[in-house]
Amino acid sequence: MTQPFLSIKGIRKTYGQVIAVKNVTLDVAQGEFMTFLGPSGSGKSTTLYILAGFQDPTDGDILLNGQSLLSTPSHKRNIGMVFQRYTLFPHLTVGENVAFPLRIRRVGQAEIAERVSKALKLVRLEGFEDRKPALMSGGQQQRVALARALVYNPPVLLMDEPLSALDKKLREEIQFEIRRIHQETGVTILYVTHDQEEALRLSDRIAVFSQGEIDQIGTGQELYANPATHFVAGFIGDSNFINAEVLSSADGKAKLALPGGTVIDGVPMHAGKTGGKSASLLLRPERLSLSSHQVANGLAVTINDITFLGNNIEVSTRTGNGESLSVRLPFGHEAIASISRGDQAWLSFEPKSTHAFA
Amino acid sequence: MVVSATTDGGQRKIRRNGSFGYVVPALLLIAFFFIIPVLMLLMRSVLEPTPGLQNYRELLGSTTYLRVFMNTFTVAGLVTVVAVVIGFPVAWLLAIMPDKWSRLVMAIIILSMWTNLLARTYAWMVLLQRTGVVNKMLINLGIIDKPLALVNNLVGVTIGMTYIMLPFVILPLIGILKSIDPAVLRAAALCGANKRQCFTRVLLPLSLPGIASGALMVFVMSLGYYVTPALLGGTSNMMLAELVAQFVQSLVNWGMGGAAALVLLVVTLVLYAVQLKFLNPNRAR
Repeated sequence: MTQPFLSIKGIRKTYGQVIAVKNVTLDVAQGEFMTFLGPSGSGKSTTLYILAGFQDPTDGDILLNGQSLLSTPSHKRNIGMVFQRYTLFPHLTVGENVAFPLRIRRVGQAEIAERVSKALKLVRLEGFEDRKPALMSGGQQQRVALARALVYNPPVLLMDEPLSALDKKLREEIQFEIRRIHQETGVTILYVTHDQEEALRLSDRIAVFSQGEIDQIGTGQELYANPATHFVAGFIGDSNFINAEVLSSADGKAKLALPGGTVIDGVPMHAGKTGGKSASLLLRPERLSLSSHQVANGLAVTINDITFLGNNIEVSTRTGNGESLSVRLPFGHEAIASISRGDQAWLSFEPKSTHAFA
Repeated sequence: MVVSATTDGGQRKIRRNGSFGYVVPALLLIAFFFIIPVLMLLMRSVLEPTPGLQNYRELLGSTTYLRVFMNTFTVAGLVTVVAVVIGFPVAWLLAIMPDKWSRLVMAIIILSMWTNLLARTYAWMVLLQRTGVVNKMLINLGIIDKPLALVNNLVGVTIGMTYIMLPFVILPLIGILKSIDPAVLRAAALCGANKRQCFTRVLLPLSLPGIASGALMVFVMSLGYYVTPALLGGTSNMMLAELVAQFVQSLVNWGMGGAAALVLLVVTLVLYAVQLKFLNPNRAR
């Protein structure tokens, strides 16, 4: 097996009784765009800070090209980072900010000028050299911060929710820029966010963090199609969960009884810690089909509301025992014409496309 | 009054019509107790004993008085530098400490400011004298053989005044240092800056407005300080405020006293103008 480019091995970080990171192990390939996705307090930022050297892990190791990073102080790690808050040096101009890492490294004056203008060109801010950061928008400041973090060609670039202070439109614009810069430079990026859409848009692979651990690592499609845990299923994409009774399970497939008596077989089963008789069944809104007349193995529901969302229509429904399920139908779906609020309808789905979590 | 304006920075304008009347008493107060006395002093300095600039000529032309000016500027300069050098790390510590502890330390600092000035100065006299605690300790530690002369000279004045001036450096600096985002220093570290470079290239430039306003306050207050130089400085190392007192109290020479006071005032105003022009904290941020 070839040696991984960046290897995080069993990182653990505790503050007294509080466990910030329980156990994180992860390999990152050179040039990969890896995102740490999770809610706040899931340990993703702490892991990034340990990589940057701002915090020491209680346990575990980090290897870059097979060499442990932990004994190297931050300023010698040669890692780039863009922060959540604006961290440009306010007393320096944009050009001086980008030149800062090169000045520290005693690069020659002519080379500094050349590399600074190249870095600013990369983030599309040519000609802003003499501007003070305070006179720039948040998006521009983060682009300068990106130029400053890339100007010394670090092997790894860390990004800690760099777009969370920006509005949605600007955020999408800069996400596109980050993708382009990743493709142009080939730098390995570790990106922290709590925004699943951002993670899906940017990443090669996503590591989903929950309570100080990684629940699952995979491409966006893998996580969406085959979530390993209830948490991942709920965090990536839109999801409905209903309670079901496990009748039997073998070889990772289960036979379930749904409320109302419907029995389905061949549902991919993910045994959790409880392993009990009841399970939570994941039903993706776009995988459900809706019919105004009774269908075999259908789930009887009442129509609660119908919302037109442009390219699709969201129908919110309620099962007999009060669980709500939302269904997404493409615009112009035939069932829409024949149903209205308060009507009885039947939902059906392919058992193989669902997942049960015990 | 110059001092409080330094921290205040901008001027506030009264715009609402009709509210002007309310400030008349304050304006009268300022006119009667500040502006008119200063003008009277100016008048006396050019009118007594005979009209002309001979008071200023004598003050700025004689070596005796020039030595007083030298003493004054040397001590004020030294006190300012030492107070900033000691005060900066203290302010930094207070800025990064947990609030609970920093409040306690601040309370101690402020309590020392509230303690009577004479008491504090006499305390230094006791500590610094030939048989005082400081000398005894240095001898016992084997650092010196004979007691050092720490009082009745400018060393004593500098030590005593630095102690008194320290809070005036620390308090404005805390605010500035607290406003610096620690993430900026982290960013500097990841850019490759070691601790010293983080300090000289980021922290120091960012806190310069705070250092400047604290230093100016200390320098200006030191120029006109009377009690501590009078008690710790001895008779041969006179400073400007003592000279003014001597002119007025012992020699009853209001002309020379006024001239000396006005020279002090002009120096202060010039320094203040320089600070407003180049290091205005409101503009730099």
